[in-house]
Amino acid sequence: MSGTGMAAMVEQWRSSLSIPGKPNEWECKGLLRSVGIAVPAGVFIEAGNAPASDSEVSVLGTAGRCVVKVCSGDIVHKTEQGGVLLDVAENRLPAAVAALRQRFPSAGILVEEMVPYRGGEIIIGALHDPTFGPAVMAGAGGILTELYKDVAFRLAPFTAEEAHLMLEELTIYPTLRGYRGLSGDADSLADILSKVAGLALELIREGCQLDINPIVWSRDRWVALDVKAIIA
Amino acid sequence: MSTLDANFKKIDKLLNPESVAVVGASNTKEKVGNIIFEGLKRSRARLYPVNPHEDVISGHKSYPQISDLPGTVDVAVITVRAEKAVDIAEQCARNRIDNIIIVAGGFAEAGEHGKTLEERLRAVPKRSGSRILGPNSLGVFVPENNFDTIFVEHGDRALAEGGGIAFVSQSGSVGVEALGLASNTGFPMRAFVGLGNKIDLNELDFLKFFGADDKTDCIALYIENVEQGRRFLEAAREVSRHKPVIALKAGRTPSGVSAVSSHTGKLAGSDRVVSGAFRQYGIQRAFDDEELCDAAKTLSYLPPARGNRVAVVTGAGGFGVMCADYIETDNPRARLRMAELSTGTISRIREKTPPFASCHNPVDLTAAVNNEMFVHTLGALLQDAEVDIVICITFFAPHAVTDKLIDRMAEVITGSDKPVLVFTEYGPFTDSYLKEFYRKGMIGFPSLTRAVRAVRFLVERGRILSALGERP
Repeated sequence: MSGTGMAAMVEQWRSSLSIPGKPNEWECKGLLRSVGIAVPAGVFIEAGNAPASDSEVSVLGTAGRCVVKVCSGDIVHKTEQGGVLLDVAENRLPAAVAALRQRFPSAGILVEEMVPYRGGEIIIGALHDPTFGPAVMAGAGGILTELYKDVAFRLAPFTAEEAHLMLEELTIYPTLRGYRGLSGDADSLADILSKVAGLALELIREGCQLDINPIVWSRDRWVALDVKAIIA
Repeated sequence: MSTLDANFKKIDKLLNPESVAVVGASNTKEKVGNIIFEGLKRSRARLYPVNPHEDVISGHKSYPQISDLPGTVDVAVITVRAEKAVDIAEQCARNRIDNIIIVAGGFAEAGEHGKTLEERLRAVPKRSGSRILGPNSLGVFVPENNFDTIFVEHGDRALAEGGGIAFVSQSGSVGVEALGLASNTGFPMRAFVGLGNKIDLNELDFLKFFGADDKTDCIALYIENVEQGRRFLEAAREVSRHKPVIALKAGRTPSGVSAVSSHTGKLAGSDRVVSGAFRQYGIQRAFDDEELCDAAKTLSYLPPARGNRVAVVTGAGGFGVMCADYIETDNPRARLRMAELSTGTISRIREKTPPFASCHNPVDLTAAVNNEMFVHTLGALLQDAEVDIVICITFFAPHAVTDKLIDRMAEVITGSDKPVLVFTEYGPFTDSYLKEFYRKGMIGFPSLTRAVRAVRFLVERGRILSALGERP
């Protein structure tokens, strides 16, 4: 995407948010999709709408296991607040949606396919450095990311070649090269990083941050399972 | 003339002035104005002391004010306190003096009143074409022409021999201490510049200047904050095509992370972004003053490494084993590995070594080592296509190893396009050995870890050149 195309797209996205300045996960995932980063198949149910019908859920085309999450720009720590239900069987879906609806009456709900994966969880992030401007991070993701601190940074924008050098700095780099049978493709991850860098250049102004955590290797592609954006 | 040329010419005058006014020059020993004036008498510049209370200073006619000078000068060094320094800087600008060095502290770092003074000072270069170095700057030291405004003790004559390193330091004391450390064992200095509070001239100006300066082959920076972040990085990338840029960036800036912080925000801590940015733009990062000086000296003297395969030659087995351990320890700057010597090299080494010597890497010549054996082995290692770098572990304890070895090693090392580093164990004679190595074009260290660390800088430099499409 060209720089001006990206700028227009990000501006359009900002102005379309349901709560201005506070994008929800579904909106963040829409942004990733528009730059060519895969996210799980999913359905967004707006606050106040009826629980998902069978037909809505069938668009997921899953083997029937789902993730049900509360989805609102006002709720940042959804797991800690009991807003995420994992591995929900298809026949339990209406009950799961109803349960979240009761707990968070004014929030939307996101129903997604449960994405199968082996191998490491990766984090990709972006922030605005006071000296150097928009910067992008890659590293070992998941809930222990802050414990391992196995991350590398580059300033946006950068090429996929530069992204590759960045990945080579990581301790977990061998897991992207088939270490102990783990899968995950370094080249396509580098490509995604350079896409995030292009996005960061437009999206990440002072005070803005982006977390894609985790992004995982599933069925021969990288899929962003969770995304959070703080935009000023 | 383009702005770039004009700026280049002004900085060139700052480092190589024909005429210098010293405001606050004094006959009173111990006064900064006296120390600086006496020091400048060794330079070739015409000197004009400015002091309304004296007629003659150290044999030179003294002028009451800047406006009384017979003409303009290339550089004015202002040695008086902050309050008066601002007035005088304004006078200098009116008299079209291109370069003003302000030594005094007591500006923004000293509270509200100082901040007001600094604001007035900032307006001077904006209004006039004059450039200001400082305030709170030690000024400059250029061994080539003895132009030296540093008023504190710094190094010995080893620095005065000159060389290719431009050393630019935001902090005066860190710069001077590092120079002292370096001068004990020799340090090739093109110029020292103390940036101070950098209200005008900053690291970017000097990066561009020394980047374009033919006499500079390596740029070493100590900085606490980076002005014009992206422009500095872009300039560094261009410079690093031609010469190494090493930076010690101290002090963590506030990360600018909002109250609701992401994982990314917490992990950044601001400093990791700096490391990533430096790496991306070809700047080699040092983390303390010793590392900065070691790296600068090594990169100034030695060719970059074309690969990461290290061969070790030693007369002391234990140090060879330790060296191999250090080489193979993981390090984010550069992964090194022990070279696997070709069979041709091994048989060449065998020609002159006793049967109990180990001719595999690390090559252990044992206590039977002598000058001839050592030089022969070093030559064989350098000719092996499987070897990118050699570390010599050279002790002068064995009776058949004499000081004559130094000349013979120097001949082989300076004639090679592969880098060679020498480790000699720390002891009462080490500094003089290291200084002699230095005079003969060799880089030596009194510790193995420092030698291996310097090797990593050479490998990192080679990688930077490859990434920029330049041949290491």
